Amino acid sequence: MIETFNSLMMGFSVAFQPQVLMYAFFGCIIGTLVGMMPGLGPLAGISLLLPATFGLNPIVAIVLLAGVYYGAMYGGSTTSILMRIPGEAASVMTCVDGYAMTQQGRAGPALAIAAIGSFFAGTVGVVGLMLLAPTLADFALRFGPPEYTALLLMGLFVLAYMSGGSMLKTLAMAVLGLLLGMIGIDAMSGYTRFSFDITELGDGVGIVPVAVGLFGISEILLTAGQPEPPKVQQPTLRQLIPSREDFRYSAGPIMRGSLLGFMIGIIPGSAHIISSFVSYGIERRLSPHPERFGKGAIEGVAGPESANNAAATGAFVPMLALGIPTSPVTAVMIAAIMVHGILPGPMLIQQQPDLFWGFVASMYVGNVVLLVLNLPMVGLFVNLLRIPYAYLYPCILAFCILGCYSVSNSMIDVWIMLGMGGVGYVLRKFGFDLAPVALGLVLGPMLELSLRQSLAMSGGSYGIFLERPIAVVMLALGLLLLALALKPVLFKGRDWRSKVGLDDQAG
Amino acid sequence: MKRIVIALVGVLVAAAAQAQETFPSRPITMIVPFPPGGVADITGRPTAAALEKILKQPVSVANRPGAGGAVGNAAVANAKPDGYTLLMALSSISVIPEADKLFDRKPAYALDQLAPVALISADPVILVVHPSLPVKTLKEVIALSRKQPGELSFSSSGVYGALHMPMEMFLHAAKLKMRHVPTTGGGPAITQLLGGHVTMTAGGPAAISGHVKAGKMRTIVSWGAERHPNYPDVPTFKEQGYDIVYYIWAGMFVPAATPAPVVKVLRDATRQAVADPDFKNQMAKLNSPVQYLDAPEFAKYLDADARRLAAVVKIVGKVGG
Amino acid sequence: MKSDQVSGLMLFALAVCVWWLNRAFPVGSLSDPGPGYVPLLLAIAFGGIGLLIAAFGGRSEPLLAIRWPEAGRAAVILIACAVATLALERIGYRLSIMVFLVFFLGVVERKKPLVVALVAAGFSLASFYVISDLLRVPLPRGPWGF
Repeated sequence: MIETFNSLMMGFSVAFQPQVLMYAFFGCIIGTLVGMMPGLGPLAGISLLLPATFGLNPIVAIVLLAGVYYGAMYGGSTTSILMRIPGEAASVMTCVDGYAMTQQGRAGPALAIAAIGSFFAGTVGVVGLMLLAPTLADFALRFGPPEYTALLLMGLFVLAYMSGGSMLKTLAMAVLGLLLGMIGIDAMSGYTRFSFDITELGDGVGIVPVAVGLFGISEILLTAGQPEPPKVQQPTLRQLIPSREDFRYSAGPIMRGSLLGFMIGIIPGSAHIISSFVSYGIERRLSPHPERFGKGAIEGVAGPESANNAAATGAFVPMLALGIPTSPVTAVMIAAIMVHGILPGPMLIQQQPDLFWGFVASMYVGNVVLLVLNLPMVGLFVNLLRIPYAYLYPCILAFCILGCYSVSNSMIDVWIMLGMGGVGYVLRKFGFDLAPVALGLVLGPMLELSLRQSLAMSGGSYGIFLERPIAVVMLALGLLLLALALKPVLFKGRDWRSKVGLDDQAG
Repeated sequence: MKRIVIALVGVLVAAAAQAQETFPSRPITMIVPFPPGGVADITGRPTAAALEKILKQPVSVANRPGAGGAVGNAAVANAKPDGYTLLMALSSISVIPEADKLFDRKPAYALDQLAPVALISADPVILVVHPSLPVKTLKEVIALSRKQPGELSFSSSGVYGALHMPMEMFLHAAKLKMRHVPTTGGGPAITQLLGGHVTMTAGGPAAISGHVKAGKMRTIVSWGAERHPNYPDVPTFKEQGYDIVYYIWAGMFVPAATPAPVVKVLRDATRQAVADPDFKNQMAKLNSPVQYLDAPEFAKYLDADARRLAAVVKIVGKVGG
Repeated sequence: MKSDQVSGLMLFALAVCVWWLNRAFPVGSLSDPGPGYVPLLLAIAFGGIGLLIAAFGGRSEPLLAIRWPEAGRAAVILIACAVATLALERIGYRLSIMVFLVFFLGVVERKKPLVVALVAAGFSLASFYVISDLLRVPLPRGPWGF
């Protein structure tokens, strides 16, 4: 313990060097700005800035990138709340209740709670990273394909369990997402599926263009043509600040979301989106007023936002403790330190203590910087909504085109975004909930790959899922949730859904 | 009047000639067909920076990732052949058209649409096993695999990917059968091995170095033509009596129809660029050995490599088909 | 027709399309799934769910009750975006976005010409400067280098 404390102090001595501090600050600002551009999320942000870090020393480089990462996560939630445009997959859940709050003139509390939740989750994540990194990293490695399959199945079952309106419609949208995820080269066999001879579709459909299209563009299509332009909400100063009630509602979701997010974050792979969905589902089940969800419940912002930020920190555990990239974002970060001749590996913490502890300390600093930077900005951001919609929406559209294009210089991404905007518009008219599409799209390829990898490992035997304890536990849990979700359907039992009148179309 | 016209034409011709002579006269774009942080990217960026100093024009790097490099490769293959669009490609450049042929796909590009300019770096891959596997040499790996046919497994960066090809070369040469667990990249392939979910994989020297030092994986044999300087104790397949060689290389290409004088300028610039101390320094930090070859030798190298890989793709055939 | 019956049948039709396209890929076996295996399962599930939605959709609101007051504007927006996207790599980022904004602000929303010009020029030049010059992401330029 003393040793950890001493190391941490050493880390702070690194993090408080004026140069490092300046870059942490700088990174947070750039990240927030990049994240606020529709279509640009954390991965795009750090990919764009990676080349700029090649000339810096490794500590500064990684501190800068971590700042950008954090900032972009936060910036992304800002656009999700204000304009319903997710910067990345994990913000999809924030869009739902965050934007509903904006429409009620409560953008201020939503933004403030998102900032506070992110701060708390980030801090929990860093403490976990600091104390538990080596232990947890070994646990994370035990997640092979069978465990991963079980985790992803559990994620989908949770979706069925948490579905708000019609379960059939929710499942239909999840399957639609899974099907979209089938597009592209099959990693197991090399076949290109459903790509219509478009080379760019070989890697599949990106989540960002789909999410921006389904959420952001469809919203503009629905709103811009209204005979009456949307009312400009002019919140008073008091309305900018979360009320005591808001805090009371949010405290639990933030804590649960942080723990949950951190645990899911350390698992190799990029299933972080599960953390925000699961958190949303849990909060809805635990809430005494589940009917408020989807209509501007602050818990629906607090929980997923915290989960998603904690997962982001959790992802650094395997990266720093084992030196393996477990997500696209950490892969870019590893490249940033490899460029400086630091070889990633399990010895990183011992061999580069100032890098590790400097990084940990600067994450504390970064979290504080973001909070200090963003809380006062809430008022400013909310004022963006005062821009008349007639000016706002053409600019948002232009930003979306720019953002989707610049991520991988691809026109196809822009077309996907526009197509999904049209599809999302029609589906919303027919009363479909679109969030599961995003979940399905992210999980689809991973689920298929890990299932087939598991079978390749076992030589075709499904017994592999029953031989591995972690997988068994998760599958059992998932099936239990599924059974609970189906109970009202099968037995026409009364549960909260019928109580709140949502069961009308559940079939 | 006539004189004026002649004079004007003369000026124009001279200007055109001038423009020809002074390639490059505007910024150059180097396309990297992989996301930032990959081998092609971290080789391409120092190269672009060194070229910039020599050509006195900005050389900016644009990542066009997608379909295992096919998107970026195709973009350059179909770009205007004026020398202002360069490609930093990896060895997979010759595998993609072969795989397209195998699956009867509309080919994204043909290899002869691209002209090689220079080979920048080449790194052999190394066979590593999980430390729990009771083998230390290639002979023991083969013996164990014969004893349990189809029981050992290996991970790769994806079917026909850069880390799948060498394993298939080995399995074919030694007549072995193993379970193949493809993943989505070099990093995940290593993660599978670290977790003990597979028994072996082929890994890049830089990517495995930290894990080997920490005892989390054991080196067996290298695909290099000679021993790797950072792994002097690891024998090569050639030493062990197998004639298989495999390198992951990064090389620069331009569209095939690029005029010879322009290619010449780029070749000369690249020759100077690889000698640049900043560039050397940067590549040394990456643990990526510079293996410079000028266009003619590179073309020969590419030809041999492409033939070798095409043969492997044919041997592997369609998976799951 | 009720709205859910229509949407359920649309989903079913999509599932049939997926199944049709998926015939090109080997399905493999239960113990060794091929590239067509998971898509086939998904297509069956999708079609089944679509039919269920249609079957239970008797109580949903009638199709004709769904009003489309904003559909015209939505189509204009999508078409304008498509045109801008086509123009992007042909006449360059700055010019196409400028025209795009002039179209929306000036023609669709009928704002004052001076304001329109300021917003269109300011937005396209400033965003180009930030992305292309500061972040060094090359954005498309037109044949005139602009």
